[in-house]
Amino acid sequence: MEKIISIKDLNYTYPEAKRSAIKNLSLDIYKNEWLSIVGKNGSGKSTLTKLIDGLIEADSGTIEVAGQIINEENIWEARTKIGIIFQNPDHQFVGATVEDDVAFGLENQGMPREEMVKAVDEALILVKMADFKERDPQSLSGGQKQRVAIAGVLATKPQIVIMDESTSMLDPDGRKTVLNLVQQLRSQQDLTIISITHDIEETELSQRIVVLNDGQIVSDGKPEEIYDLGADLQKFGLEEPFTSELVSTLRDTIKLPDGYLNEEELKEQLWKLHSNM
Amino acid sequence: MDKIILGRYLPGDSLVYRLDPRGKFLLTFYFVGIVFLANNVASYAFLLAFVIFAVFLSKINFGFFLKGLKPVFWLILFTVALQLLFTPSANPLWHWGIFTFSKEGLVIAGYIFIRFILIIFISTLLTLTTTPIEISDSIESILKPLKKIKFPVTQVALMLSIALRFVPLLVDETTKIMDAQRARGVDFGEGGLIKRIKSFVPILIPLFVSSFSIAYDLAIAMESRGYKDGEGRSKYRVLSWDRRDNIMVIFMAAVTGILLFLRSY
Repeated sequence: MEKIISIKDLNYTYPEAKRSAIKNLSLDIYKNEWLSIVGKNGSGKSTLTKLIDGLIEADSGTIEVAGQIINEENIWEARTKIGIIFQNPDHQFVGATVEDDVAFGLENQGMPREEMVKAVDEALILVKMADFKERDPQSLSGGQKQRVAIAGVLATKPQIVIMDESTSMLDPDGRKTVLNLVQQLRSQQDLTIISITHDIEETELSQRIVVLNDGQIVSDGKPEEIYDLGADLQKFGLEEPFTSELVSTLRDTIKLPDGYLNEEELKEQLWKLHSNM
Repeated sequence: MDKIILGRYLPGDSLVYRLDPRGKFLLTFYFVGIVFLANNVASYAFLLAFVIFAVFLSKINFGFFLKGLKPVFWLILFTVALQLLFTPSANPLWHWGIFTFSKEGLVIAGYIFIRFILIIFISTLLTLTTTPIEISDSIESILKPLKKIKFPVTQVALMLSIALRFVPLLVDETTKIMDAQRARGVDFGEGGLIKRIKSFVPILIPLFVSSFSIAYDLAIAMESRGYKDGEGRSKYRVLSWDRRDNIMVIFMAAVTGILLFLRSY
């Protein structure tokens, strides 16, 4: 698999902070992968995204984005390859209308107006927000605002999309729509998704999960492997997924196969037991 | 906060809405200027007729304009009263101590009253029919010549549009903070002056702090979307100057001509 981001021995300490936010972190992220980064509050997740996008500068170590080590000269070029969707949708809008906001990134690239009009329309159709083109962002729901933010990111055609706790302020419905949309776009446009969250349930769609604690990677593996950590997850301030909790309670009374079961697998097992009775 | 009509936009569609905002913006200022040229009953009556005609063209309910007068009602009353009572005159109708009431005073007070109405109506007409973003676009376009003297026009325009975009957000934030503080027992609008001022501290401090944190988040979001310094950016939003905008300018020139004629009449 092709590497798209390669991080080596990264260190970062916030000015005037005693502890370092990121300690000797090395991580490879592959093309078209959906990677979830989880960890409790203050584990360095958001710092890591800001470092990848060059919004803050590392004390030591290197970050390679699409084959190029980022430094002060090429950071703007690297940023065109990365799109970030932030946590609070209210705090990332620049435009006074939906279309203005989607166009903001394109304006920064100096795209001619005719191309821009087309690109904005396409991006809004992708996120199913074309009917809201002229609306004031303030009049939209949280989920709709995040979809507009996604459109703003997609319009610039990035290779990597970072979601920095983008769904944490949405209701369950909004969260589901946004996540499914991102999943769909990942396969359509060959995007790499880095999703940062502290909710383990939200990592279901990902192919790989990295657990951060105190600025270091403590676990890195497929979702099943990570969910299987059970009590260890709680040590890092994470909740166990619902099915794991249910399975461990059920194991006291009924026999279930070892390892992590997702919702479908658990359902199947329960039906099997039911038909055996 | 809902009572203030001045500075608010009212969605609608009519000739006045479709005019180029730059033209509307400049001509509104121009009109405020020429109001001071009027000096007799005929010229004031003419300007009043013009403003009412413009309001009629906008198809906006006249009640909105009357509402626009409300916040400045006391200012108008005060100024008119001063004019009525303190205009010096050779043959006053009524005289008591420092107060003089005369025919001249009555006429001047009447002029001032109409002048107020004209200026408030025309500026309300501008803001009711022009979106804030159109106004900030107009300001950018009008200030463009200042680029030659190194004035940061594009940055100022972005600043303006962000400021406008955050007005409703900050109003929401303020109401939320007020409710939260009320829930903790802060009483707004009760007690003496000092106590009232003091009760604003628990609103202002959180409001400032949250404004700074919003500004920080927004700056990070803008940078991550490739915003450098405003140079080399293209523009998504363009204003177009049409034939009807030319007609508006010609019409305004005619108004000025008639006004000058009536003035010397």
